[in-house]
Amino acid sequence: MSDDAHNNDDGHHSLMVNNKKLLMWLFLGSDCMFFGTMISTHLIYRKLYPESYDPTSLFSLELTSFSTFILLMSSFLMALAVSAMHKGDIKSFRRNTIGVIFFGLIFLGCQVYEFTEFVHAGLTLSSGTFGSTFYMLTGTHGVHVAIGVFWLICMYFYSFTGKMDAHQSAVDVEIAGLYWHFVDIVWIIIFTAIYLIEFI
Amino acid sequence: MSDAHSPSETDHNGEAQKYHAFINLALALAAITGVELVLVYLPINQAVIFTVLIALSLFKFISVIAWFMHLIYDRLLLTLAFGTGLVIATGTVIALMFILDRSYVDFEAITAF
Repeated sequence: MSDDAHNNDDGHHSLMVNNKKLLMWLFLGSDCMFFGTMISTHLIYRKLYPESYDPTSLFSLELTSFSTFILLMSSFLMALAVSAMHKGDIKSFRRNTIGVIFFGLIFLGCQVYEFTEFVHAGLTLSSGTFGSTFYMLTGTHGVHVAIGVFWLICMYFYSFTGKMDAHQSAVDVEIAGLYWHFVDIVWIIIFTAIYLIEFI
Repeated sequence: MSDAHSPSETDHNGEAQKYHAFINLALALAAITGVELVLVYLPINQAVIFTVLIALSLFKFISVIAWFMHLIYDRLLLTLAFGTGLVIATGTVIALMFILDRSYVDFEAITAF
């Protein structure tokens, strides 16, 4: 078997980059554009109609900062989970993955609580441009988090089947990790551009 | 004994270094989030706070990509794959923010539509 053919079997192309990993990075690049358009839509409407809605009385910066902290710490645990998988330490991988799932669920819980409060205060998806763009952006991000949590739960249970090996599965865990970190970096931008800027 | 380290020893040192880098970064990110929260309530010039918030946000953004997402340890091709999308997205946001400035938009035309 030639070297090239061997590399292809191993999930690499001639540039010696894992195909799955390259595809995930390309997907994340395209997702950047997706979120970029939604963030700009929200900011443009805020700029064009600044008097339409004042969210400072509605936003709880303490809660949002807590959510941000939770998501950042989940990213830290995810990095440890990926590192553990590279070392072939399945137990450490499971421990850290459960931590990420737990933190992800806390984040989603905070978002559900926040949305419920906002709806009770009269801010709905159809109450104006602010509501539409705000819920579309943060809701889409929330869906991304929920997909990430589901993905990690599947991976966690898969680790008990005995089919996970340090070499092959490390790449799969790394790809799930990339997705999770991406969700985190999008929130870093949303936290500043949508929440913090309203208070200055 | 020779000074050369065995591959497994080098791997172990590399992983230990990464572990410490991850902990330091996590602590720094948590601290920055706290600073951001305090910053918006400080009675300082708005432009200064805005600039600092953007800078801190960018620092967090780049740090997570570089270390947690392993981009500094990976091949340049992956940076280019992600960077292309990121540059287009950033360019779109900046361009739209300038094009759709309040002074350029015809509000009467929008309301008539």
